[in-house]
Amino acid sequence: MTDRPKNRLLRPETLTALGIVAVAAGFLIPTSELPPISALLPAAMLIGLIALSVALLVMDQRKAAKGDAAAPMTQSPKRVLGAFGLILGYALATDFIGFYVSTAVTIPLVAFAFGYRNPLGLLIATVIVVGTIWAIFDFGMSQDFPTGRLWKD
Amino acid sequence: MYADLLHALPNVFAFANFAAVIIGVIAGIVVGAMPGLSATMAISVLVPFTFGLEPLVALGLMAGIYNGAMYGGAIPAVLLRIPGTPAAVATTFDGYPMAQKGKGGLALQVAVVSSSLGGIASAFALMLLAPPLSKVTLLFGPSEVFWVAVFGLASIIFLLGGNPVKGLISACFGVFVSVVGSDPIYGNDRFTFGQLEMLDGIHIVILLVGLYALPPVIDLLETPLKTGVNSSNLGTEPIWKALPRMKYWKTWIRGSLIGIWIGILPGAGGSMAAFMSYNEARRSSKTPDTWGEGEPEGVAAAEVANNADTASALIPALTLGIPGTAVAAVMLGGLLVHGLQPGPMLFRENPDVVFGFMWQFLFGAILLVLLGGSLATNSFARLLNLPRPLLGSVIIVLMLIGVYSIHGRMFDVYLMLGFGAIGWVMDKLKFPLPPVVLGLILGGFAEENLRLALRIGRGDPAVLFQNTTSLILVALTIAVIVGPSLKKRFLDGRKTAE
Repeated sequence: MTDRPKNRLLRPETLTALGIVAVAAGFLIPTSELPPISALLPAAMLIGLIALSVALLVMDQRKAAKGDAAAPMTQSPKRVLGAFGLILGYALATDFIGFYVSTAVTIPLVAFAFGYRNPLGLLIATVIVVGTIWAIFDFGMSQDFPTGRLWKD
Repeated sequence: MYADLLHALPNVFAFANFAAVIIGVIAGIVVGAMPGLSATMAISVLVPFTFGLEPLVALGLMAGIYNGAMYGGAIPAVLLRIPGTPAAVATTFDGYPMAQKGKGGLALQVAVVSSSLGGIASAFALMLLAPPLSKVTLLFGPSEVFWVAVFGLASIIFLLGGNPVKGLISACFGVFVSVVGSDPIYGNDRFTFGQLEMLDGIHIVILLVGLYALPPVIDLLETPLKTGVNSSNLGTEPIWKALPRMKYWKTWIRGSLIGIWIGILPGAGGSMAAFMSYNEARRSSKTPDTWGEGEPEGVAAAEVANNADTASALIPALTLGIPGTAVAAVMLGGLLVHGLQPGPMLFRENPDVVFGFMWQFLFGAILLVLLGGSLATNSFARLLNLPRPLLGSVIIVLMLIGVYSIHGRMFDVYLMLGFGAIGWVMDKLKFPLPPVVLGLILGGFAEENLRLALRIGRGDPAVLFQNTTSLILVALTIAVIVGPSLKKRFLDGRKTAE
């Protein structure tokens, strides 16, 4: 019971509501520099977001006061963070190292990291996917993919 | 108007257009059969790849995927009791007990025939109802168009159910995203922060892929679900032998009507249609006690309704720009990508495309039976053995390619990842996603027409309430907002009285 006030502010919905209020308030600064007619809709939406988030926060805190436990957003936070990290890492690698190398590494890496451990399956899947992408997009449609900022000049 | 419908028919049989429907149906069944993947996600990933395609090829793929996925969801629902799509929940009630009795093959055949019939009925409803409705919207001026946009947003927020505060936050977020970029009338930069990439606004595909494709991929990687199934125990016989034993005409007709009606209503969707159809069929059954223990008619009731809401969800989407379901919202985005603005002008300026799209829905539904027959059903059942982490990694690559190829820049990919993170949080906290998409689609549309109406009225807001159509739309919007809470109060009052 003693640590309830501290935990109440860490509930996911409360944190989200506070985050929305902060971001929407931040966006109000550039909105105030716009001509009134251009600022009409964005200002209405930002003020609406702030008001609604405050309502969400109040509703969530009322639930907390009643003793309703907030459901966790994920059962396995490490896996979720790992997944987001690998996806972001793939995007950065594509940008800096190049598309094909990053893709050839990412497909087996993600599958292996999340539980598919068959080396032959990983090899076949990687060759098929990368080969198909090359045949359709590069060869067939002349689509250019990032070659990597690191190798430019 | 219906002459245009017949005129568009030959285009559908062009090789590329017809092949697109076939590929779409197969891809849709595959996607629907994989728990965690959905038609919405598949179409979101597909849309950027269709830029260079002819509109009817792109729309054929979408129509096929939508039809196929609604049936595909029945495969794991029957074999594993895991609905492949939310709309297939009601299919598990009798489908899974049938599979346990060694009649899994029959359950899937009942599902595919019912899905096909529901899809055909829905396609006919789209063909018959959309053209006259689009003519009505020709009478709309800027103030009416503004109110249609407000009504569309209100419907999807308040009729989706759940927490309306969260729905409103989603819609405000979507509308806010729609104002990023140059002001359409004065040309002022809004929230571009000096980034040239943002001047044209945020492309709808970036938002769609981020919101609808990234969260399911994270889910695929988060839960190492084992979905293995032995398809040799299905007990499947050729579909032409099973067909004469399927005598569920009353259920099929009732389920089709329910599905079509639910599809037209903004914010409802396939799962509600399937539940309603299942309940009604059980209520009118002579043997309701056998339901839930492996009654094939239960599978028929659920599947006919969840496919009957597919094309009908596009009736308000194509005519008014208000999608009936999340998939329809994403398809609306797909139409916009090809320069097809929903509304009456769509039917006037692109009759071959819009009516061809309707025919593609019909043929997609017919193809379901041919492609989901006995042999294919066994093959599709084997899909459940695909390793999820590998599938997840391949989808990540497809997402990156799709978003990168819009403008050929990594900036869009980073933006998509940002929307993906927001989408994942929204998904976990049960913020509805369709209002975000609709907000982005209707936000700019509403703003432009509001400003136009105010100009006509020389700045007087009374111009928004000066004609009967506007007042009717205002009344409908208010009804949609207060209706659910009044209904809840009425039901609560009745419960208390009892």
